[in-house]
Amino acid sequence: MDICVKDGKIVEKVNERKAKIIDASGMIVMPGGVDIHSHIAGSEVNTGRLLRPEDHFKDVEAKTPLTRSGVGYSVPSTFTTGYRYARMGYTTVMNPAMPPLEARHTHEELDDTPMVDKATYPLLGDWWFVLEYLRDGMIEECARHVAWMISATKGYAIKLVNPGGLEAWGFGRNVRNIDDPVPHFNITPREIIRGLCKVNQILRMPHTIHVHTNNLGKPGNYLTALETMKCVENLSKGDRPIIHVTHCQFSAFKGSDWRTLESGAEEIAKYVNGHRHVTLDMGQVVFTDTTTMTADGPFQYILHQLSGNKWVNHDVETETSSGIVPFRYRRKSYVHATQWSIGLELALLIEDPWKIFLTTDHPNAAPFTTYPKIISWLMSQNARKKAIGKISRRARRKSLLPSIEREYSFYEIAIATRAGTAKCLGLKQKGHLGVGADADIAVYNLNPMQVDPSKKYMAVRRAFGKSAYTIKDGEIVARDGEILKSVDGRTFWVDVKLSSASDEVASDMKRRFREYWTVEYENYPVPEGYLTRSAPISVKAEI
Amino acid sequence: MITLRPKRPFKVSVEAKCITPNDFAGKTINEIATLPIWEGNKKRTLGELFKIEGESNVAPEDCSIQIFGDSSRVRGVGAKMSVGKIIVEGNAGMHLGEGMKGGAILVKGNVDSWVGSMMEAGTIEIMGDAGDYVGAPYRGSTLGMKGGAIVVHGNAGYEVGCFMRGGLIKIHGNVGQFVGIHMRNGTILVEGDSEGRAGAGMLEGKIIVCGYVPSILPTFTIDSIRPNVKVNEERVTGPFYRFVGDLADGGEGKLFVSQGKNPHLNFYEKYL
Amino acid sequence: MKNNVITSVKNACAVGEAKFLNYSNHRRPKPLIRKNGELVEASLDKAIQKSAEILAGASYPILYGWSCTSCEAIRVGLELAEEIGGIIDNTSTICHGPSVLSIQDVGMASCTLGQLRHRADLIIYWGSNPWSAHPRHIDRYTAFSKGRFQPSAWRGYLSRLSATLTKKRLLRATSLILRRKISVPPEVDRSPSYALARKERKMIVVDVRRTRSAELADYFLRVEPNKDYELLQALRMLIRDEELDVDEVAGVPISVLEEIADVMVGCELGVLFFGVGLTMSQGKLRNVDAALSLVRDINQRTKFLIMPMRGHFNVTGADTVFTWQTGFPYAVDFSHGYPRYNPGETSVIDILCRGEADAGLIVASDPVAHFPREAVQNLVNNPLIVIDPHVSATSLTADVVIPSAFVGIETEGTAYRMDHVPLPLKKVVEPPEGCLPDTVILQRILHEVRKLKKREGEGN
Repeated sequence: MDICVKDGKIVEKVNERKAKIIDASGMIVMPGGVDIHSHIAGSEVNTGRLLRPEDHFKDVEAKTPLTRSGVGYSVPSTFTTGYRYARMGYTTVMNPAMPPLEARHTHEELDDTPMVDKATYPLLGDWWFVLEYLRDGMIEECARHVAWMISATKGYAIKLVNPGGLEAWGFGRNVRNIDDPVPHFNITPREIIRGLCKVNQILRMPHTIHVHTNNLGKPGNYLTALETMKCVENLSKGDRPIIHVTHCQFSAFKGSDWRTLESGAEEIAKYVNGHRHVTLDMGQVVFTDTTTMTADGPFQYILHQLSGNKWVNHDVETETSSGIVPFRYRRKSYVHATQWSIGLELALLIEDPWKIFLTTDHPNAAPFTTYPKIISWLMSQNARKKAIGKISRRARRKSLLPSIEREYSFYEIAIATRAGTAKCLGLKQKGHLGVGADADIAVYNLNPMQVDPSKKYMAVRRAFGKSAYTIKDGEIVARDGEILKSVDGRTFWVDVKLSSASDEVASDMKRRFREYWTVEYENYPVPEGYLTRSAPISVKAEI
Repeated sequence: MITLRPKRPFKVSVEAKCITPNDFAGKTINEIATLPIWEGNKKRTLGELFKIEGESNVAPEDCSIQIFGDSSRVRGVGAKMSVGKIIVEGNAGMHLGEGMKGGAILVKGNVDSWVGSMMEAGTIEIMGDAGDYVGAPYRGSTLGMKGGAIVVHGNAGYEVGCFMRGGLIKIHGNVGQFVGIHMRNGTILVEGDSEGRAGAGMLEGKIIVCGYVPSILPTFTIDSIRPNVKVNEERVTGPFYRFVGDLADGGEGKLFVSQGKNPHLNFYEKYL
Repeated sequence: MKNNVITSVKNACAVGEAKFLNYSNHRRPKPLIRKNGELVEASLDKAIQKSAEILAGASYPILYGWSCTSCEAIRVGLELAEEIGGIIDNTSTICHGPSVLSIQDVGMASCTLGQLRHRADLIIYWGSNPWSAHPRHIDRYTAFSKGRFQPSAWRGYLSRLSATLTKKRLLRATSLILRRKISVPPEVDRSPSYALARKERKMIVVDVRRTRSAELADYFLRVEPNKDYELLQALRMLIRDEELDVDEVAGVPISVLEEIADVMVGCELGVLFFGVGLTMSQGKLRNVDAALSLVRDINQRTKFLIMPMRGHFNVTGADTVFTWQTGFPYAVDFSHGYPRYNPGETSVIDILCRGEADAGLIVASDPVAHFPREAVQNLVNNPLIVIDPHVSATSLTADVVIPSAFVGIETEGTAYRMDHVPLPLKKVVEPPEGCLPDTVILQRILHEVRKLKKREGEGN
């Protein structure tokens, strides 16, 4: 079966005599990878880079005539990030956390990240405007202001991180569950989640709300994750998902403390299997030295206390917070090994591959360069056996993995790493090889007729680690791990068109701006010209 | 014995991490001359910058390298070496013996900063002075010197033994401020004076100052007076004030300071 | 504005106003090249060509400055440094470099300035004098600002100030009436718990001498010069209610320190601002180490944050751009083809003092006026290119001078505030004829350098 490419798109047919022909016989051809959640740009990522010179000096990339120099390992510099994704056959990456006040910074860094198309999610779950309007029951006003914010920050989706908890962290506190009211604001996380879910529907955003649950990383938090998914059940209209719970591994802990920690993957999988309104991504742990960075200020502080590692905290006025702590996951640690098992259990117990996607919440659970390893674990029970043989004995005894025989097929891997994520994001021209799709194609040197991924998992790892060809917008940009051409990707953002009252929102924001922020109204929005390749996606809101 | 002589004075810094017995062993002189090094931003070979003479095809354990002339701008000599010997007849540049795993280096002149950084084993002896950060780790890392011994006959600069985890550093002369800062373990012996703030942030390990210190950090507490203190196999004669700290970090490191050379510290005795 | 000239400035602080009104002074809008010892006017093309020749041929060129230009220009500067295999460094190296080094060891609990405006009830300025260096800091962001959860302390300060002034007037009046000098008991420094026993915002200034900022403070703590490290470490223990062996630290009695520790732990949200008083006094990066560790430790008991008071208007931007493109914030060495970082080895002052550089490019900075003499000598002994809006001591000693447009007045760009908030800078007036923005000048030099290197490569 041939795939024809012209002018950056997949087309019905081309003039074969004039076309460049790539012989991909005996290889796997997939759409380019679409990463739904990877911290690659913005103030907390950059602070992570600054914090860890010792992470960089051992992993360097020298300048070549075609590529800029840079460093890795867990928080690579921007050029290196782009090249490494391209080498793995990925062509679209979503930066999942952007403090709206510092949106400019995120976009500047995304512009310096070559090779991939990208987008970013503004953090809105603790924004004072959201908290106030939802508390007062003014859903439509809230929606109008969220629409303003998405346009102003050139964002793609509504992101919630520990909703309510970040505002509490402004004074060093946290929320304990989704019904614990946020101090000073008289609103609960449940109301924030439901409110923003409704707003998301009113604005007809391409993606669902993207939620990092409360109580992340706390033993027993699987109940919070279930509560979070349940609390929007009755908002569901039809079959489309309305909430995405991200890096679910971190929210699937059973038990009451670190000693009694267990996997809650089974309960979560059971719920997800029985409901259609929810999608997840894994947040898979790999045993290595990495850097944790999230907007979840209180959680990051706890991580610092647990590990004793250096800790950076950055609270952003009126909006959100963030924390960065280096972290090493050890095989022999009962807790870390259990976490490793949880991620895989989630992916293997949830039956529908369109509901759970492969991520490591880069770099929180592992750097994104470990994706090939995770693919091999999903596809091969042998690979899992080998890995589980090296982990803490107690974790091994409790893990469900030995009893799980399921192995992902290549088709399911394609869903988990590209087709499923693209669909979930509402990116209609990504994640498939049909006519009209963007010509983002990855060719992997692996013959599914000859290679049994269950046995030859090392070959699987090698193939997915270095694509035979990576094609971006119809051009060959990488081959066998070598970058052949440096290209600039697009930045997607959602241009929400309100049918009424959009001017009123702008003047309302202008009037109240100084009460909330310490910058001027004129300096806050990111102008479209700021983005090198702006690619707005227009949606017409219900209001 | 293989000898190296600079062919001309170096203005910009030269990085020559290949000057190690491990890299020279089993090679002919011509092969050694083609080893790559950097002069500023220019790629050069060892033979372009140094006149190389001596035996070819030496076994690593028997490999002895002698460097003549002024190598104060040559960095990384002896990096990661695990066997053999290097003798620097003049001064040596930064990062001497970085990550060393064994063998011995002797410098007859002075050495620049970061000597023995991230060292794991082996010995480095400096007849002259050393710069700052003796045995220290890379920026941002807490993994300092792990083992081996560094002996400096002259003085040393700031932050000697920063984040040290093991091994021995011995300074015959004086040291600058913050000797033993953030030390995790290991022993530092200073026969001369310290400029102050010794043992800041230390968690464990031993620092001995036989000379003068202007003051002790307020987060250290006096523990006892000891007549002498053990350093590996030898005993260093005191008497010494024995302090414990750094309490600001919950540390239990031991700081020994000469009683005789520091009469201004005898007010601490009332706490005993 | 009138006829493309700024006539008056509203809403700016003294420093900003001076910038806007005086930007047109000390300009020489023509490129210059040194010939036979004299700087003579030249065309822009020739100046760019000569710059490219100097940089392309160098073995260890340094590119310095960057803190007074836009992020867009810095991005080009990094590309240029990478292309010529040079060392690129910004003014952090002489200012808050030690702070960065400490952050890399300890981390930092910080926030954006608005968080403080809304929430902080205890503000400490340590080794910093905002009254002169950051004139609007106190009334925009801290003690005299108004936030959602904290009212301004301005009225309280005014009433205390008027009480002091009234007292002075009364004394003068009395001495005039009685025709003799009235002896007044000396002003007693009140104890911290007395001075700070209020619910509203409180400000403490810690410094070696009583600065103007100290006059505004509710409590001034005088620390012995070069003893900040000891004081900070002592506080780390005191905030945990642990006792020290000694009676006083850095010239301050322990009883006073214990009260200060109580105030720190008892606040709702505190912030510690620190300046070059910490970074450049004895101990340098370890002083900051101790301050960062203190603030981190206090977070076990209450919310506390710390922030460096940055100097140049875009030094934070320079650090930020350097970091995302290279992984390192300053002192970046590209000589081996990839970024390497080791302040003390790859920092510009150390390189110059060792006489290792063989060419220099200075962008929007005046190192000849600020660097140690040895470094300056080595800087001017090598071919030197200066890109700057103003005539400066450095441009007078240069071999090539290219006049540029003033960022934020004559050309736009992005800059980062000291708390990492990115802000757009606008173009307000046209630059003088022939003065291009730094981004354009650097792009052209980069283009020429690439041409030269290609020719060199083909010649081999």
